[in-house]
Amino acid sequence: MISLALASMRARLFPIILVILALTSSMALLLAVDRIKVATQNGFNQSLSGVDLVLGPRGSGIELMLYTVFHLGKPTNNITTETLKDITQNPKIDWAVPVALGDSHRGYRVVSTTHEYFERIKFAGDQPLQFRDGVAFRELNQVVIGSAVADALGYTVGTPMFVTHGSGSLGELHDDFAFNVSGILAPTGTPTDQAIFVSLEGYELIHLGWTNGSQAISLKNIDVQQIPKERLYPKTITAAYLGLSSKLGLFQVARSINEYSEEAVSAIIPGVALAELWSIVGSVDSVFKLLNWLIIGISIIAMMTMTMTALESRTREMTILRALGATPLHLSSMILTEIALISGFSVLLAIGLVRVLTWVSVDLLSEWAGIRIELIWITTNELLILGLIVLAGLIASLIPAGMVYKRSLHRGFSN
Amino acid sequence: MILDTQELTYHYASGKTLSFPDLQLYAGEKILIVGPSGSGKSTFLNLLSGVLPIQTGNIKLNAHDYATQTRQQLDQLRADCIGIIFQSLNLIPYLTGFENAALSLQFSKERRAQVTDINTSIGQLAEGLGLTSDILAKQPKAMSIGQQQRIAVIRAMLGKPALILADEPTSALDPIATEQFMTELTQSIDPTEQAVIVVSHNPALIPLFDRVVQIGESI
Repeated sequence: MISLALASMRARLFPIILVILALTSSMALLLAVDRIKVATQNGFNQSLSGVDLVLGPRGSGIELMLYTVFHLGKPTNNITTETLKDITQNPKIDWAVPVALGDSHRGYRVVSTTHEYFERIKFAGDQPLQFRDGVAFRELNQVVIGSAVADALGYTVGTPMFVTHGSGSLGELHDDFAFNVSGILAPTGTPTDQAIFVSLEGYELIHLGWTNGSQAISLKNIDVQQIPKERLYPKTITAAYLGLSSKLGLFQVARSINEYSEEAVSAIIPGVALAELWSIVGSVDSVFKLLNWLIIGISIIAMMTMTMTALESRTREMTILRALGATPLHLSSMILTEIALISGFSVLLAIGLVRVLTWVSVDLLSEWAGIRIELIWITTNELLILGLIVLAGLIASLIPAGMVYKRSLHRGFSN
Repeated sequence: MILDTQELTYHYASGKTLSFPDLQLYAGEKILIVGPSGSGKSTFLNLLSGVLPIQTGNIKLNAHDYATQTRQQLDQLRADCIGIIFQSLNLIPYLTGFENAALSLQFSKERRAQVTDINTSIGQLAEGLGLTSDILAKQPKAMSIGQQQRIAVIRAMLGKPALILADEPTSALDPIATEQFMTELTQSIDPTEQAVIVVSHNPALIPLFDRVVQIGESI
């Protein structure tokens, strides 16, 4: 019966190819969107670990997460290091890693921070940051770069670089003080890969002599070693990552920070802010998915329509098979076999297509959007989705199969 | 006896009722059924082939009583014991002549058991009907009507079913081809195991048959 169904399909190759193309592309689209969503969600959730609270200026928690963790948007305000010092007096706070943002290098954000950043900040659960090459910054003129920065710009340990004032490409260059790459971080699949890290003091140094966003005094004629260390400790920072000695005090510490009266600051729980952020992004994904399922539904209807339209022209074929002893069940199962073959073939093609697309775009997506997609054939969940689509196709095909059954049961042979 | 019909009648949904003459058919017999249009010739063949359920009366084919058979058993009986030839468009367009002929074995183990080598069996039947192997390799659209009808005969004959039913098989053929085709058809059967029933309204065919059974008004 399968060989007969195959031969019959061969005779209707063109419409069948169109239906297979429609089904394949809609299923591949669904899988691709799902894979990008999973990879994005994983990237989201894995981008910051080991941090209990993020301290920043009072305002939107999502905004604070966007510019501190994802390096998106501009910091709206700063907080004073005096406030940070005051807040970290709380014995429940075990450690604090300050970060100051604002400058960039060839489109990559510069994050000024302390040594502790590389020890305290983790990703993907509890994985520590590791150095692919070199070490963390020790001197004022040293920087650590993320793996994507190193790969994209071709930088190695020792490469000199200048930092641009501000986050845009049109900012003024801090060309009076050159940094050297001291270390390159191993890939993490998080925004860390796309960041450049300098010490707070180094960052403060290049802003000495700057007023109202422009340089008044150049560092070229100054011996930076003579500048007192306390002069280089910043008065303001953008935010700080906080670690608590016990998670039990999380909400209490957060509340006490939010109620801090000396300065308008707030503390956000990264997990909660990430979930809020994902709920916004996730709704876009839901719309995509809905559209995708609609396309799949339309493809299944097209398959059913093609089968039903072909039934009229296949009356003779069905009559001959009935004359040869085929039961109505044989004929309806032939229709079901055809649909199963079309759906099955489309599934295989979709899996292959997604594999090829993933293979082609894996590096591009990683570099371009920081999304790391796993190079796999198929997951159990995806297989389940595809199985559901095939099942839906088979259920839909029960209509033409039932029509064939009914017709062949009541129709005699006639010319 | 291959076939025995008793007091068959058929009631149509329109209210019309047709009665069919009793028929006993023995191995080697060739019967021509004649009757005008609307006399129920096709209905009679549909009843004999088991595709229409019998309403009153009974049919026995090779000792199988139609009244006691389920629909599925009747379909199997048709696959095992009956070869059917239609008026035209006998072949599935996307299969070759050979594949069309071999299709008769698809649904019958009994007929498959009769055929030891399908190539030889089809080849012998084709030779008897004057068909060459290149015709067998062609699709129906590349064949003449006569060639298509001969392929249908091979399909009906393959695996030696007891009863061959042919419904107006020569209506698309010219008189010379008709006579030749009917001679080939009737000569192809095994007189010890098979019988033929042909339905036609062509009186010129009468001399080729052992008996003529009339349905409905006289011709």
